[in-house]
Amino acid sequence: MSNFDWLVLAGTLILIVGYGTWRTRKAGASLDNYLLGGRNTRWWGVGLSIIATQASAITFLSTPGQAYADGMRFIQFYFGLPVAMVLISIVAVPIYQRLRVYTAYEYLQTRFDGRTRTLAAGLFLLQRGLSNGLSLYAPALVLSAVLGWSPAVTVCLLGTLIIAYTVSGGTRAVTITQQWQVAVIFSGMAAAGYLLVRYLPPQIGFTDALHVAGRLGKLNLVDFSFSWTDRYNFWTGMTGGLFLALSYFGTDQSQVQRYLSGQSVTQSRLGLLMNGLVKVPMQFGILLIGVLLFVFYLFQPAPLTFNRPVYEEVMRGPAAAEARQLEQQHRTLQLAQQAATTSLAAAQRAQNPVAEAAAQQRLQTTQAARAGIQRQWLALIKRTNPTADDKAIEAKGKDTDYVFISFVLKYLPRGLVGLLVAVVLSAAMSSAAGGLNSLGSTSVVDIYRPALKGRIRSEEQLVKTSRWLTVGWGVLGIGFALFAARMENLIQAVNILGSLFYGTILGIFAVAFFQKHVHGRAVFGAAVVTQVLTLLAFWLTDIAYLWYNILGCFAVMGIAEVWQRTGPPDSRSEREGEPTDYPLVEARS
Amino acid sequence: MLHPVSPADSDHSPPGLPSWRAWYTLVLAALAAEIGFFVWLSRALGA
Repeated sequence: MSNFDWLVLAGTLILIVGYGTWRTRKAGASLDNYLLGGRNTRWWGVGLSIIATQASAITFLSTPGQAYADGMRFIQFYFGLPVAMVLISIVAVPIYQRLRVYTAYEYLQTRFDGRTRTLAAGLFLLQRGLSNGLSLYAPALVLSAVLGWSPAVTVCLLGTLIIAYTVSGGTRAVTITQQWQVAVIFSGMAAAGYLLVRYLPPQIGFTDALHVAGRLGKLNLVDFSFSWTDRYNFWTGMTGGLFLALSYFGTDQSQVQRYLSGQSVTQSRLGLLMNGLVKVPMQFGILLIGVLLFVFYLFQPAPLTFNRPVYEEVMRGPAAAEARQLEQQHRTLQLAQQAATTSLAAAQRAQNPVAEAAAQQRLQTTQAARAGIQRQWLALIKRTNPTADDKAIEAKGKDTDYVFISFVLKYLPRGLVGLLVAVVLSAAMSSAAGGLNSLGSTSVVDIYRPALKGRIRSEEQLVKTSRWLTVGWGVLGIGFALFAARMENLIQAVNILGSLFYGTILGIFAVAFFQKHVHGRAVFGAAVVTQVLTLLAFWLTDIAYLWYNILGCFAVMGIAEVWQRTGPPDSRSEREGEPTDYPLVEARS
Repeated sequence: MLHPVSPADSDHSPPGLPSWRAWYTLVLAALAAEIGFFVWLSRALGA
């Protein structure tokens, strides 16, 4: 990166964080102010905060690469999201807002009992506490590969910055910084997309590029055929995607806190609905950049792999001579690919179906040869790493996370490179800050405060505790990211573990909302049984993780229903419907 | 009481559209239109 890029990058990040911290320098006198920004956020602030919390750095690094390699079918994963936004707006928002809760789990005490609340909050803290640090580690790893930065230093710097403004200004600081981070993300991605089209050869326009991508199967946006093993089709998007979105937006405090900070039911609902309107087009735009990258590299020399460290490793190893030969074959193939693509675009413009079919055939042949070269490349990685297992070799051969950032660094003008790296870091910071903020809130509201068992603490003391707990979670996240850096399997385990909890938590909330006659003992027992069954099923079967959201949710609902009908009477049943009544802090007017 | 019930909200009459039902219909209709566009794009330009 040039000095000017460094200036743009540092300037962007410092301005955003500095502004957010300065605007919220007086925050924190009360729990309402510190945990929910004074419940004063307008709908667009709520909506932007929801978008920023979900969009991690990997969204902008991996998603274009995924479209580059696999086409646009990933978009189907988001089809259930707008439906979930509508359902949460109808069912959850009025209840959360009416009870004036700080966290989603606080509602479970009102509806069931303390232990059900602690169980749900504990599952959330375990999952989010471990995974939050990893959301910084993933981009740090990619940036270390392409820019040579130390992942440990990147994680520590970003982590410290996030802890500083999240602790200082609470939810309001997170929301304000997220609004500017989203502005940087959208403008950076729009500039990259525009320049990508400009950089195509003069004879290839935007529609020509789409035609070529379509002919090579990259515009596979909707697939109505169903398969249990295929994650990306219309039906899995509308079922698995729907339940995942219901779990994430309806019960995960990192998102619930965003709309609890809304000024009213109206502002919270509009924020969620804004996300429902924006998310699918936004993902479409990011995937479209990936498809345009694919067409761009049909004309420009693409490296054998975009993963530079793996390339250098092979070139230094025993398979270096074969790798150089393979690289030569790859270059020759690219020339053939470029000629075939130009012919295809010309035939399409001339509306000559015979020439079009011939050019398409030639292009498909080059694509098949390219796939063959990729297989040979994997074999060379294996020869370089003879003791590595197949999964590790596959991971080293995968370069989709590096495609977009490599294009940015090689082709974009000075200044814009700095802005696009700021996009990646802004995305990392916005999602990690949302997570950290929710960890601090949940630990103080759902674990620390109930543990006081009636010993009154002032709001100032609780805010102070929340600040220290936020620092603690931040340091734990940084430590875990640095530790996980040495254990690839641990990262996968954490990601999988989190997805195995969602179904159970969603089931608890579904019972709370829809099975009014079911009480605390039944739902708690059902949740514990379901979680054990989920872990067993994961261990013993090959069910894709996406389905655990649905199965877990229905299992909790079904078991709780049977338990309620057949189990002993629940003393809690007499108190159903009472507002939260434990003496926690001084009453507020 | 710790959590006072929020004051009467204006959620019965949302801004921009006559009712919440209209807002929900708008979001779902937008999704349907997007899926329709994607199907068209897949079929018109697909392999």
